[in-house]
Amino acid sequence: MTLARDDLAVASTAKPARWSFDAKALIAAPGLIFMGLAFAVPVLMLIGDSFVDRDGLSLAGYRKVLGDPYYIGIIGNSLQLACITTAVCLAVGYPAAWALARIRGVWQVILFALIFLPLTVSIVVKTFGLTIMMRRDGIINFLLVNLGFIERPMRLVFTEFSLYFGMVNVFLPFMILPLYSVMRMLDPRLLDASASLGAGPVHTFLRVTLPLTMPGVIAGGTLVFSISVAAYVTPGLLVGDRFMTMSQVMAKAYLNIRDFQLGASMAVIMLVISAALILASSYLVRTPGGERR
Amino acid sequence: MSQQATALPPEAEAQHEPGYLAVSNVTKRFGAATVLDSLSLSVGRAEFVSLLGPSGCGKTTLLRLIAGLLAPDQGAIEVGGRDLTRVAAHRRNIGVVFQNYALFPHLTVAENIAYGLRAKGVPKAEQAKKVADALGLVRMEAFADRAVTALSGGQQQRIAVARAVVVEPSLLLLDEPFSALDRKLRETMQIELRHILRDLGITSIFVTHDQDEALVMSDRIAVMNEGRIEHLGTPSEVYARPKSLYTMEFVGQSSRIGGVVTGGRDGLVEIDTPFGLIRAPGHFLSGSKVVVGVRPEAIAAGEGPAGEYNTVRGTVAEVIYFGSRTLLHFRTAQDDDRLHVELNRLPDTVSPGVEMTVRWRVDDSRVFPAPAGDDR
Repeated sequence: MTLARDDLAVASTAKPARWSFDAKALIAAPGLIFMGLAFAVPVLMLIGDSFVDRDGLSLAGYRKVLGDPYYIGIIGNSLQLACITTAVCLAVGYPAAWALARIRGVWQVILFALIFLPLTVSIVVKTFGLTIMMRRDGIINFLLVNLGFIERPMRLVFTEFSLYFGMVNVFLPFMILPLYSVMRMLDPRLLDASASLGAGPVHTFLRVTLPLTMPGVIAGGTLVFSISVAAYVTPGLLVGDRFMTMSQVMAKAYLNIRDFQLGASMAVIMLVISAALILASSYLVRTPGGERR
Repeated sequence: MSQQATALPPEAEAQHEPGYLAVSNVTKRFGAATVLDSLSLSVGRAEFVSLLGPSGCGKTTLLRLIAGLLAPDQGAIEVGGRDLTRVAAHRRNIGVVFQNYALFPHLTVAENIAYGLRAKGVPKAEQAKKVADALGLVRMEAFADRAVTALSGGQQQRIAVARAVVVEPSLLLLDEPFSALDRKLRETMQIELRHILRDLGITSIFVTHDQDEALVMSDRIAVMNEGRIEHLGTPSEVYARPKSLYTMEFVGQSSRIGGVVTGGRDGLVEIDTPFGLIRAPGHFLSGSKVVVGVRPEAIAAGEGPAGEYNTVRGTVAEVIYFGSRTLLHFRTAQDDDRLHVELNRLPDTVSPGVEMTVRWRVDDSRVFPAPAGDDR
């Protein structure tokens, strides 16, 4: 199984790569052409922009981003945001995906709806909804005060707590889906076999369940990390300028200060981080830590 | 009949310490369905007992209950005098060979076999020795470092057995372990597994829906139907002296002839059937509706002496050739009841439509009460 490598796909039956031409590949042509025009060309232009200023070729953009503690701090912010979001999504999503893969009948439908219906709501709407809930006169403060946990409403919006809360809210389904698809393929008899051989639940989890679901952990982790490191809307709405991320710097560089080289350099650095992560994860899936086949 | 059954203790049974595995009055329900209905089973030490029945008869559920992978609603399960009813599966020391083998796909052959040893904290050096021994036992020494996913079905089967026996379980459960193998390989593996388990002296419970497999491998067979054991006995008892019509029809081939008891004496009953008057050993009231069962190989062509034999006349409906033997479907003119007659040598005159006479010993007839709702 090479899940992460198959573009975080749901599929699990891997076939050895063959290099003879298969006409079926032509079916992918419209998608490939579109992605070429809509993704590859702009990315190449962006990379070009990052090496050019008004006077021609220059590394000023990178020197600025990588030499200024302010921007380093922002890269750090983004990495911290992505790491914590990914970790919390994994901790919350792993048991949820397990339940989803093991449960049957009407409860599975209900769980599915609970987990995936939020995907149909726009991020902006969801995030605004959260800010309404977290206001001083919002429902959370109302409950906390009236239940006697706190004396007066506390500030929730524009705190890092609200940021992580909102990020997990938005990105959790992206962790659960790849985990679920791997767990669904896990033969429950392997767990029975483990128990019959004298292994307790912890041993079974560490030696059977976790190694066999590792492709899902890596795929989900890679997916959530790479989209949350680039998050723009949620941090912007929930903490604003108090917690600057790489995406916000890019937006400001392009829209406000109109320093295209700065924005492009920041974008390329983010691209490198994500690409490195995806490469590393596809390597991990194929080494003994992941799955050996 | 039951007297006869107990009068034939096979040598094998005598050496098994009885009651090693004791399943007592176990009931298991799934929702409204009662899958096992107050079932009891006692298996001797080192005995090989098959649970034989069609799918849905509860045999796999019973296996999972013994393994601790399911909990019974009522009843108790003991092994070697230890009550395991409320003991978790991983503390029972009961090995299981699963239908699809359930080998760990992320581990090598040797790692699969070492899994249970490692879980139990056996020292590394001892693990290596035991794994090597287990691989030798199933003649797979050369495969220690292979990925299990690269093995054939038969090889995976051997590894599954090695993995289960290497931890020296107090009981081994096998859930249709041969169902995925082709016929030739299955027959070889049956004999081989039987030898291995006999040599190791492991008490084994073997689930199968294949009657031939059960007959070949077992010390005793428990024929299961709708959550109950219909008949528990040696293969020859189950085949030759089935306690119920169900057992007779499930194990081996048989003909059934419906009829009404007209009288009886000296432990024999006379039954009026579409094939005429038939006599059989048994005790039934006159007027009882009964079914007579006869094994095809008990029936021979031609007439027999009237006292010892039932003789009937009818038409050959079909001739089915198996090579070493031939099966005839034989029926009377007015009725659809058929006799299945097995002949080793086919008389030249026999072909569909020919009238002929067949006979079988009165002692080879088994009589059972007609099932409710059966009008034949």
